[in-house]
Amino acid sequence: MAKPRVAIFDFTGCEGCELSQLNFEDQLLDILAQVDIVEWREAMDDKADEYDIAFVEGALSTPDCIKRIHDIRRRTKVLVALGACAVDGGVNAIKNLHPIEEVRATVYGQDQYLFPTLPALPLSAVVKVDYNVRGCPMTQAEFLRVFTSLVMGKQFEEPDLAVCVECKLNENECVYERGMICLGPVTRAGCNSHCTNFGQYCIGCRGLVSEPNLKGMNEVLTSHGLAVDEAWKRLQLYNAYRLQGVRA
Amino acid sequence: MAQYFLEQARVADFVAHLLASNTVYAPHRKGSRSYAFAKADDPAAVVLDYPRTLSSVKKFFLPPREVLLNFDLTLDAASVPPVEPGNAVFLGVHSYDLAAVRRLDFNFTTGNPERNYLARRDGARFIGVSYVPDKFHFAGSVGIDPYDMTGCDMFLTKHADGWIVDIPTGEGSELAAGFKLEAHDEPKPPRAHFTQHVFVPQARLGKVMEASYDHPVWNETADACLGCGTCNLVCPTCYCFNVQENVDIACTSGQRERSWDGCMLRGFTEVAGGEFFREKVAARQRHRVYRKFKYISDVTGQPWCVGCGRCTASCTAKISIVEIVNRLIRDSERDESILT
Ligand code: SF4
Ligand code: SF4
Repeated sequence: MAKPRVAIFDFTGCEGCELSQLNFEDQLLDILAQVDIVEWREAMDDKADEYDIAFVEGALSTPDCIKRIHDIRRRTKVLVALGACAVDGGVNAIKNLHPIEEVRATVYGQDQYLFPTLPALPLSAVVKVDYNVRGCPMTQAEFLRVFTSLVMGKQFEEPDLAVCVECKLNENECVYERGMICLGPVTRAGCNSHCTNFGQYCIGCRGLVSEPNLKGMNEVLTSHGLAVDEAWKRLQLYNAYRLQGVRA
Repeated sequence: MAQYFLEQARVADFVAHLLASNTVYAPHRKGSRSYAFAKADDPAAVVLDYPRTLSSVKKFFLPPREVLLNFDLTLDAASVPPVEPGNAVFLGVHSYDLAAVRRLDFNFTTGNPERNYLARRDGARFIGVSYVPDKFHFAGSVGIDPYDMTGCDMFLTKHADGWIVDIPTGEGSELAAGFKLEAHDEPKPPRAHFTQHVFVPQARLGKVMEASYDHPVWNETADACLGCGTCNLVCPTCYCFNVQENVDIACTSGQRERSWDGCMLRGFTEVAGGEFFREKVAARQRHRVYRKFKYISDVTGQPWCVGCGRCTASCTAKISIVEIVNRLIRDSERDESILT
């Protein structure tokens, strides 16, 4: 079997997800042994015409991004979104909460006409995405599961359950017991409840579960005497795109 | 039966005595106000007076995650990892958690015996402790007394100055051998009362459940329920699991892993082809309650809920299984056909 040809691209984001791929130090050689990396701006100069798998990081936020993602989709058999920005729009989508002209003027000032900008979009708003690797930065263990599934020609099953599940498997004390806001009940597991394992609260970086009960979440906050507006600000940190038009 | 007395000041000595020749699991503090069973190491850290632990002792027999199979794709070979027999002492177990272990024993020996569970369960010795029911316990309603020592090798009943000790089995005598305990012949202090009650016994609950399939409580509860699965995962009698296979990065070897799952979770109800056989949270909530008071109970005659109160205490949405069941009872009792 020929090795899959892999390309890696980045759009609007901090490139933290790609860097966390480079941080795979121990596994990088094993990864490289199984694929041919044919395009990766952050680590090499070559460019290719076609690929079996494209890993794409970052949100779409300019007209040029839209053109490029269509181009990538045409060239690749499988498209994988890497990290919160690519999967859900991520923190970039916070700008969507403000009028786009205002955002543009604030960021680029008098040069604003040189920089066309769009409301930030997840990849899936424009092209078909085959698999997601969620998290900010992307969850490495999930990347490995997606990667090995692709190499083995298996379907990757995306987790669709709340972080609460992993908290229970790890027998963590519930963050609400300590009187803090936690986004775990509506956030997708798959991180092995990383933050709450270390005494932190969940900030929702892996995005919402497929059917979050946001009204129920408001009730939970209220009944615990916690601030609903503060919780919604936190929810919007990673979910501003998905929550457009949804009110607290 | 002879009784003995263990002064509060000597509890740590007693734990140290047990530790000298046994692996001991006991409740410890966890987080800011919770408790969890953990391997005892420092006798002073063991807590016998506690309301409930986050997970029950179930986790030692059916671990949250376990490897069922190791496989090698290059050799086309697989091996089953050995399961160590438990052979441990479980100190500080409440009667409802032991009742739950007996229910799991039934579930895991009926049909195909569950090898891993039974191996881990092997050699377990239990030292029960009494507890004072808090605002979530309702074990009394499902017939489990806080002083019930069924299945215990020793049992400690709370007393103002320490613990009254019963030693109902030979294993218990062996555990106590070499540790000086004074005889005690006063009666045990009266039990504290439960504040939570399910209004009718199991004998009538089956009928109540049958009459409640389309009750509005399921939809109303679903409005508040986050579908997070916590209520399943903390339950000492829930045993559903998921099985997944993962391969290493070189795609040459891998593991088949089993982990706890729960019927409140949307993904649990997904089958091949992308169909969901209980898509609505309301239907999942009904299923959860029926699994505790109807489906298995119809076969065994016993409630499969042991009244520990964990599901209610752990639910961030404060959904109470006692309130659900009592509402079903009230409404179905208005129906003449149930009364007669
Ligand atoms: S713990 Fe509460 S919110 Fe979570 S699934 Fe159970 S009933 Fe619903
Ligand atoms: S259903 Fe709730 S109260 Fe009953 S045994 Fe399970 S966790 Fe405990």
